[in-house]
Amino acid sequence: MTRETYLLSRTALPNSHTLDVYRAHGGYRALEKILKGGYTPAQVIQLVKDSGLRGRGGAGFSTGLKWSFMPDPAKDPRPRYLAVNADESEPGTCKDRVLMEKDPHGLVEGVLIACFAMRVQAAYIYVRGEYRLPHDRVAAAVAEARKAGLVGKNILGTDFSCEIFMHKGAGAYICGEETGLMESLEGKRGHPRPKPPFPAGFGLWGQPTTVNNVETLQNVPFVIDRGPDWFKTMGTPKSPGNVLVGISGHVERPGVYEVPLGLSARTLLEEYAGGIWKGRKLKAWIPGGSSTGLLPASAIDVKMDHDGLREAGSMLGTVSMIFLDETACTVRAMKVISRFYDHESCGQCSQCREGTQWLAQIFARLEHGQGRMEDIELLSSLANGMAPAKTICALADAAAIPTHAIVKNFRAELEAHVTHKGCPLADAHAPHELEEAHA
Amino acid sequence: MTKIILDGREVEADPKKPLIAACHQHAAHVPMYCYHPGLSPVGSCRICQVEVKQGEMPARVTVACRTPVAEGMIVNTEAPKAHEARRQCLEFLLKNHPLDCPICDKAGECDLQDYSFAEGQGQGRSVEPRRKLEKRKSLGDVIVLDQERCILCSRCVRFFEEIPKKAQLTVAGLGSRSYITTFADRPLEGNYQGNVADICPVGALTLKEFRFQARVWNLTKAPSTCGECSRGCSITVEVLRRQEVKRLRPRPNPQVNRYWMCDHGRFSFDGLNTPGRLAGALVRGTRGLEPLEPHTALDALANLMRVHGAPLVVASPWLTQEEGKLLAALAGEATFVSPPPSALKDDLLHTGDPCPNRRGLSELGFAPLAAAEALTKLAGQGFALLVGERIGALLGREALATLPAGLRLVVLDTHPLDVPASELELGVPNAVERTGTWLNVDGIEGRLSIARSAPPGVAPLTRTLEELARRATPAEAAR
Amino acid sequence: MSKLEVLPQKLRDEFTELATHYPLKSSALIPALHRCQEELGGWLTPDILEACAEFFGLEPVEVFGVASFYPMFKLRPVGKHLVSVCHNIACNLRGAEEILAAACQAAGAKPGHVSPDGRFTVERVECQGACTAAPMLVLDGVFHENLTPDQVGTLLGSVK
Repeated sequence: MTRETYLLSRTALPNSHTLDVYRAHGGYRALEKILKGGYTPAQVIQLVKDSGLRGRGGAGFSTGLKWSFMPDPAKDPRPRYLAVNADESEPGTCKDRVLMEKDPHGLVEGVLIACFAMRVQAAYIYVRGEYRLPHDRVAAAVAEARKAGLVGKNILGTDFSCEIFMHKGAGAYICGEETGLMESLEGKRGHPRPKPPFPAGFGLWGQPTTVNNVETLQNVPFVIDRGPDWFKTMGTPKSPGNVLVGISGHVERPGVYEVPLGLSARTLLEEYAGGIWKGRKLKAWIPGGSSTGLLPASAIDVKMDHDGLREAGSMLGTVSMIFLDETACTVRAMKVISRFYDHESCGQCSQCREGTQWLAQIFARLEHGQGRMEDIELLSSLANGMAPAKTICALADAAAIPTHAIVKNFRAELEAHVTHKGCPLADAHAPHELEEAHA
Repeated sequence: MTKIILDGREVEADPKKPLIAACHQHAAHVPMYCYHPGLSPVGSCRICQVEVKQGEMPARVTVACRTPVAEGMIVNTEAPKAHEARRQCLEFLLKNHPLDCPICDKAGECDLQDYSFAEGQGQGRSVEPRRKLEKRKSLGDVIVLDQERCILCSRCVRFFEEIPKKAQLTVAGLGSRSYITTFADRPLEGNYQGNVADICPVGALTLKEFRFQARVWNLTKAPSTCGECSRGCSITVEVLRRQEVKRLRPRPNPQVNRYWMCDHGRFSFDGLNTPGRLAGALVRGTRGLEPLEPHTALDALANLMRVHGAPLVVASPWLTQEEGKLLAALAGEATFVSPPPSALKDDLLHTGDPCPNRRGLSELGFAPLAAAEALTKLAGQGFALLVGERIGALLGREALATLPAGLRLVVLDTHPLDVPASELELGVPNAVERTGTWLNVDGIEGRLSIARSAPPGVAPLTRTLEELARRATPAEAAR
Repeated sequence: MSKLEVLPQKLRDEFTELATHYPLKSSALIPALHRCQEELGGWLTPDILEACAEFFGLEPVEVFGVASFYPMFKLRPVGKHLVSVCHNIACNLRGAEEILAAACQAAGAKPGHVSPDGRFTVERVECQGACTAAPMLVLDGVFHENLTPDQVGTLLGSVK
């Protein structure tokens, strides 16, 4: 089955990360089209709006609409910024990494076009601290582009100037939240800010800022080069275009695949990832990164787009699918997942700071045989106390949603852990889990 | 001003302040931890939940400290959903908070206790072990920190950043492992540390001075003014069982000290409790100073004035305006002791002038004298009055002891002076035992009120001076 | 007393250049702390934090507050080699706990601790972004993916 791909189209080429290879395969054509073709920033925003491109960082907000929130420079002449969210830390997610390592110029070009459209003169690419190779590849691409007159003052001889700076994070998931990212970029603890005010009005250093995900931006040159109508031939009307899906867990062929939005989860599992490994059966799966929660095997035919998953009571998120086979334990999975949110809560909001720890403690007790029947109701009650929209940012929601999901979809397994006084699936030969202390 | 509907009443709200300020201004109860009217708002504790309806949008529960007021906004601070949100928040806060109330100084004035009682549930549902942190971490001479009690409201962090404008505390760590600390266990510095114990909503930051000293419900409180410098910060004087002053705390005053006071003023109350008060009057007899009925002492003083004329008056700068007016009418020459400037002067509150009422007394015509000047003047007199609390200490007992016995010195102070020159001594109330007014450096009035009764036999100085004036009138004199 | 000397001139020059990337000098703090950790012994001592505070015009306590927020910044001594094993969900499903056990055995260290010979610190970390190549570990900043427990010993043995 051939479906059109574009995002990963260059990544298999040798030296795909270099300027020469990029240029030889359509690179910077879109930028040249805009700068030489006399496009106005407003026209570029309109093109992106028309394409229906939605953010690929997890929230799925209309990219063109987000760009249009930046104020009119005539009315607000303050310096303004683009922050590229390359903090990719959602468990299950490793797709921006592929783009940065193998098609970094695609990011540079997307950044330049976005800056042109929003009349931004300085962009910061915030790369998670652990991503050494992706950071270095993008930095090298920026340097190459600068040498070629594509970054810096008077790009391609026009009066459009744009600087791109690299910036490293240091291991906190919460810095992938757009306001946490901005605090961190400013050299502070990554504490998300309450909204309002929104970044377009009060962003980096209090100035107008837009934060965009890597994959989102890498779609932009294609949208400009081939047009919104082309973009809409892929995907679904409300979720057009292709998306990078990461498939991991108990599958034959884990990997990052480029697919149109709207395929069924079953298609992705079987056609792309080779189905559940070792001849086993599917038990549970996560559609869009750990924040989206465990779904039952019966949901495998859901359409993988924004609406399809919302109707199934979940979310598209980062389209990072994680599969569990029949030997896996959903309670153990939630122990691991809830532990993550406990570790990553920034600690500002009372419900999140205490609630994420509480949930993690309860799941750990359940998995290790100290659970009680009332813990199941307690999980739901705590999750209701944490979300929706009760805290400064959505990390509390990210911890609450999978909690609700396991209670809704796998209650029997939770109960079995109580009656069995431990995990019925625990492999007697598995090593005793080593102590939890972080360094 | 913006009109909003608050709990069914139409009220005016300051659009420059968040909704919570309007709620409090109009006596609508909204709990708060991280919000403090003297600090920048954060919106992290999530306790100040109220229900808000704006225009066509459905009513939503939101934090009042981060909600701007808008014309026509309908606010319900008692909505069931708001109460439920607060209850949930409290349960989360009490999950790790140690049950220290029986041994915690903050009990009785603790926002966690108070809101839990008002909004919380009787029993928590957590069976998880509580986090373990340092419980008696000394942060220097003033403050002791109990990290386990801390609810991470970050008021203390923001206080040092925004008021003395030098960060000294931080939230360290991440998430449920967060804690408050200084850098490398260094002690806190500066003259404003005590304020963090006031603003800490729980017993995490407490005063070493007050540790285990009193239960707050045994303290009686009276509004007053600090007398340690000419800023005249508004304070509350707190007295244990009507005897000892146990604590001074700042009282909000937007014109003078906002919400703060300095440590020097805060911890200056020892002098108010010094025993050995001059209760009544003393007269020099053959065997030294002997007790005398106060009214007899007044007669004697009036007589001295008749014989020797209006005296040189050297007053204490702690004199109130009311006392000063009466004294000026009786004085031949009116002066007050001007102590040397203090090195505590700063850009924040301390003016560097250790006189609470320099301005007021100057306006009444009292001339300032350095202590040495005053002593020189006194040495050349035949009859002089030393008037007001601390006057003996300001001039120095040793120096006063060198004055010739022939100088007929009459001393009105809180404690006996008993130097050879003193012929008559009368007790006066101190700053927490009388009413009165001081004028601060900017001419703003600071009022004193009675927090504790003066010792028996000690009348207000104003009454003593009025009595003296009456005795000095010709009609009285003739009697 | 100035602590700036704790930072070699070369680093200070780097930081001066870094600071020009931002409208506010102190925004370069986190990249600067990374460089300190890389060049000055693998962890951020109180002196380093104080020196950075001085350089960026901040209070030491502020720098400490920032450094202590981020898991990648080490505020206690670490072994010569940092071994970070992801224990999050995709790796957990494909044997992360066995990788961790193998790493601890090969390093002779308990998780979160320095090995007695000072060569290794082994730690649990959250999702590193290698989910489709799970399980994995990070050795001195380099990703090693699609690991089996047997390979771990060889890998750790290959560094001094």
